[in-house]
Amino acid sequence: MEDNGGEDPVNNNNNTTVSSEGSIIKVTVKTPKDKEEIAISEDASVTQFKEEISRRFKAKQDQLVLIFAGKILKDGDSLNQHGIKDGLTVHLVIKTAHKAGDGASSSTSCTSQVGSSSGSSSGPSSAAHSSSVGSTGGPVSAPPQTPNILTGFGDLSSLSSMGMGSANFMELQQQMQSQLMSNPEMLSQIMENPLVQNMMSNPDLMRQMIVANPQMQQLMERNPEISHMLNNPELMRQTMELARNPAMMQEMMRNQDRALSNLESIPGGYNALRRMYTDIQEPMFSAARDQFGNNPFSALGGNSDGGVQPSRTENREPLPNPWGPPSSTDPSEGGGGTGTTGSSTAGSTNPSVSNPLAVNSASLGNGMFSSPGMQSLMQQISENPQLMQNMLSAPYMRSMMQSLAQNPDMASQNPASSPSTGTNPAQQLMMQQMLQMFAGGNASSQTPEVQFQQQLEQLGAMGFINREANLQALIATGGDVNAAIERLLGSQPS
Amino acid sequence: MVTCALPLLSDKMAVAAGSGCLRPGVGTEIILPGVKVPRNFRLLEELEEGQKGVGDGTVSWGLEDDEDMTLTRWRGMIIGPPRTIYENRMYSLKVECGPRYPEAPPFVRFVTKINLNGVHNSNGVVDTRAVSALAKWQNSYSIRVVLQELRRLMMCKENMKLPQPPEGQIYTN
Repeated sequence: MEDNGGEDPVNNNNNTTVSSEGSIIKVTVKTPKDKEEIAISEDASVTQFKEEISRRFKAKQDQLVLIFAGKILKDGDSLNQHGIKDGLTVHLVIKTAHKAGDGASSSTSCTSQVGSSSGSSSGPSSAAHSSSVGSTGGPVSAPPQTPNILTGFGDLSSLSSMGMGSANFMELQQQMQSQLMSNPEMLSQIMENPLVQNMMSNPDLMRQMIVANPQMQQLMERNPEISHMLNNPELMRQTMELARNPAMMQEMMRNQDRALSNLESIPGGYNALRRMYTDIQEPMFSAARDQFGNNPFSALGGNSDGGVQPSRTENREPLPNPWGPPSSTDPSEGGGGTGTTGSSTAGSTNPSVSNPLAVNSASLGNGMFSSPGMQSLMQQISENPQLMQNMLSAPYMRSMMQSLAQNPDMASQNPASSPSTGTNPAQQLMMQQMLQMFAGGNASSQTPEVQFQQQLEQLGAMGFINREANLQALIATGGDVNAAIERLLGSQPS
Repeated sequence: MVTCALPLLSDKMAVAAGSGCLRPGVGTEIILPGVKVPRNFRLLEELEEGQKGVGDGTVSWGLEDDEDMTLTRWRGMIIGPPRTIYENRMYSLKVECGPRYPEAPPFVRFVTKINLNGVHNSNGVVDTRAVSALAKWQNSYSIRVVLQELRRLMMCKENMKLPQPPEGQIYTN
């Protein structure tokens, strides 16, 4: 219990490590973008504090404004006076003489060291470079003797040293965009960023950005509604709210999709939708996404161009019944002067008035072709021979045909050999020609049973013993085993 | 980078039930309904938050006088939001929390001269009806909420371009 007189347990100066007066305290200095912890002596003056801060934040002392507890810290004050203690936070504002976007003065001030002509070489991408040039001003100015070329390189190297590695700003943008698309998390992270949110809450800025895109400008000229939309600040603000909140966005998209599908089910609605799409959305889409190369709808849109004439009129044809038995109207009815309305192709579907080519819509198979819209399109096309000619002569149709050809379901059987076409040599010839154009044909000559034999076997092996049902399912799904299974399971009682 | 995201978003321009610029924030403390926190408790808590820099660093607040035991007179600072006419300026305010705070809203007035809708031109007093946080005051609101609300007002379309008096002027009364 000896009282150790030397040590005062309540010593305030426990943490004295430096020779300066007072103890060191750690103060957090916070800017809207940044946060740093600065160790400073408790008795320091605001000026000394600012010195330290200017070193850490790489800004000039007279650009710094410090705020604590709602008061500006003046140079003459001391930290103590304001009650700044260990662990507390001081707010910092770095006054920039000009805004960050305007890089002209900073880049000229920097490149003036390296030669005045360098300004021109960094001209095109000065927006991207100015910030990097400003911050890497030191290394860039190192070779002062060679202006022009080398400073051009200097700029680029400073960019790549920032980790981007791409000289072209457009490329950069593309990369960013593709990254963004592939990584939805990144997108949401970017959205969370308060800086981005600040920017987004400024409708004027958004508008300027949108309008600056030249394709957008074209679009705006063509469709005055779009420019009207952009000019409406209320709408902009709401859209930005939407953009800021990804959950709300998804909800909105879902609603829109639902509305669209409702529209589709109205007679004539599909055509209206298609019209709307080609007029408005497609150019917008391509304007926005052509960097990606793949407009996912371009294939579909390209197809519909061929059928654009009939789409203007309402499609009154009943949609084909994919499950029903092949229609049994007189096959030779279609025979006549016109070539394309020839007789049966002896496909699995007998030709009918509305379906003279016996386009078996079901067997056209997977993906987009099995949509009812596409089927009706095909029917319309087959009704209108002129249209058929037009369509087939278009180059993109050829590629579509080729891809059709690769679909194993549409084995290129020669229907000319089928018994029903044998009677009329002219028609037979016509058929052959047709098929050449189709490059592979779109209907097989075998009965579905034979055509789907392999799939039937598969289904049988899996335990679906009802061959009839299997066959129906396979016809309906165009030979897709998985889809057929689903169908079968759906119709069976549990 | 946002320019890249924009065209994608602009595809689906839908009219949402939009909310305006004003949306007062809610404090982050755990509020038990029915429990009334004593005034001094609340104010001490706010004092601590002010010193610790809770929030995004665009507003700051603290006691005007550290010896003030009644915790009535406060000082606030708002950093002018970027891309508005208020950018790069610091606005100093006086906030007075009366005896009925937090049940009653505080009195707020600008010290630095400002041209803003809802602030009297002559003396910088903030009109309670113009600021929704004050008009619809709740006891969960705080000085921070009021300051942030005022900052948001500065970013509103109707305010962000108002011509401002030269920097550094203050109201004399």
